[in-house]
Order: sequence, then C-alpha cells, then structure tokens
Amino acid sequence: MRFMVIVKANRDTEAGQMPSTDMLAAMGKFNEEMAKAGVIEAGEGLHPTVKGARVKYASGAAGVTRGPFKLTSDLIAGFWLIKTASLDEAISWMKRAPFEPGAEIEIRQVFAVEDFGEALTPELREQEERTRAYAAKK
Amino acid sequence: MRFMMLMIPLGYETAPPDVQLDPERVAAMMRYNEQLQDAGVLITLDGLHPPSMGARVSFATGEPLVTDGPFAEAKEVLGGYWMIEVASRAEAIAWAKKCPASANEVIEIRQVQEMTDFSPDVQEAAAGFAELQKGSRARR
Repeated sequence: MRFMVIVKANRDTEAGQMPSTDMLAAMGKFNEEMAKAGVIEAGEGLHPTVKGARVKYASGAAGVTRGPFKLTSDLIAGFWLIKTASLDEAISWMKRAPFEPGAEIEIRQVFAVEDFGEALTPELREQEERTRAYAAKK
Repeated sequence: MRFMMLMIPLGYETAPPDVQLDPERVAAMMRYNEQLQDAGVLITLDGLHPPSMGARVSFATGEPLVTDGPFAEAKEVLGGYWMIEVASRAEAIAWAKKCPASANEVIEIRQVQEMTDFSPDVQEAAAGFAELQKGSRARR
C-alpha cells in the first residue's frame, strides 16, 4: 500500500522560516532509516503559500487567487510518499519522525489502479500506465 | 521549476471510505493527465483515499498522538495532486485553469523547494537526500 504523509503548515513554515541544521540532520537520519527499509518513495518541502495560488472552478470559469492563504490546520508544508504493508505500519514509522512539539501530519492512502473498479476502463487503464511510464522517465 | 497542483475537492473531508467515482469524470481527468504528459510537464500524479480511511499524528506535546479519520475540524482536505515541471508560476496556473474540475473543486499551486533555494549550511545538512530517494526507488 502507498501512503501520502502530509506535513501541516504552521506559522513558521508560512513565514518562510527554514528548519535549523539540527532539525535537518535529525530528519535526514530519519529519511535514511526509511530509505534503508525501502519505505520512502519521495519527499518534498513546499514554499510558503505567499508564493502560491489557488484556482477555483465554482462559476464554470477558473478564478485565480494569489497567496498567501489564511493559516489553518488544512494548509500543507510538505509531504512524503511511503510504501508500507498497512496504515498501522505507516503510523508507526511516522511516530518516530523527529518533529518538534506543535507539528502535525496527516497520513492518507494513495489510490491504486485496482481501487477504481469498472470506472477505469481497459483503455483508461492503458492510458494511465502510459502516463506513469512516461512521467517516470523524466 | 517544480510545482505541486493540490486538488482540494470541497466535501471530500466527509466522504465515506468506499467513495464511488464517476467514470465520466475519471475519463475527463485522464484526458487532462494525457495533455500534461504530451506537453512534457508531468512528473508524477496520485489520488488519495478519503480521510475517513486515514490518520493524523500530532506532536503537540512532543509525544506522537494518533487520531483516526475522518477529522471533524478539517474544512478542506487533499483529494490528489500532480507534480509538474514548468518555467514559471504563471505557467503552472495556466495548466491548472485547463483542468476539467467541478464547481466544488479548488486547485492550490505550490512551488516545490529545491536544494538551490537554501543556504549552503542547509544544503550540507540535507546532502544525500536525492540519492536516498533514488536508492529507495531502485529497490522497490
């Protein structure tokens, strides 16, 4: 099973404050443990929402709003993609993450092709595989 | 520059674990995905199961505290994402505008942090991360 671990934004990340060297070193060690266990697929940090934008489709036409966005616990600061046998295993990995007090993450299962059932016709499935194969080559 | 296009479907925060997808919408999205691919901007993409199947880990006290989904206080949640490689934020926005999204959906565009965005100290502390990812992928 694949899981996306969403790291929540907070006042510091939204202010563009970068993690300390100690924090980076601790995270680096944690990432290395996950890599050695074959758990980690990807991980990225995102620039604050002040550098971002939102596109809404409510009126049929796409309306663009520039960041920054109101700080709620729904904003994102970064993510990992991990591969584990279960949600419990994903949780137990993430409990070991060296976060400072106040941090929060959300763990969400990624859809696999078989989860789409009949909505994903053989043609669409083939297209999906083509798209991924191409993207993997980039 | 790399950008994430975060798909935020309003209402997904309360979706049941066995949420059903509309084949027509899936097909329209796949056509859009193929456009991104044909233009050479697509790096990766994923869809996420509803939060009712997920969990949150909070470190508020320093000790990890686990809460099972759904999350009562969440007003918006992630439904999926694309990672794209484009020349500017404006180009990322232009791609998001082309998405065959529904009236209840919002796409948030966020620039991905690159090593070169950081000070030399930070780069040194995080050295080797890209190699770790590659190594881990190779073993999958």
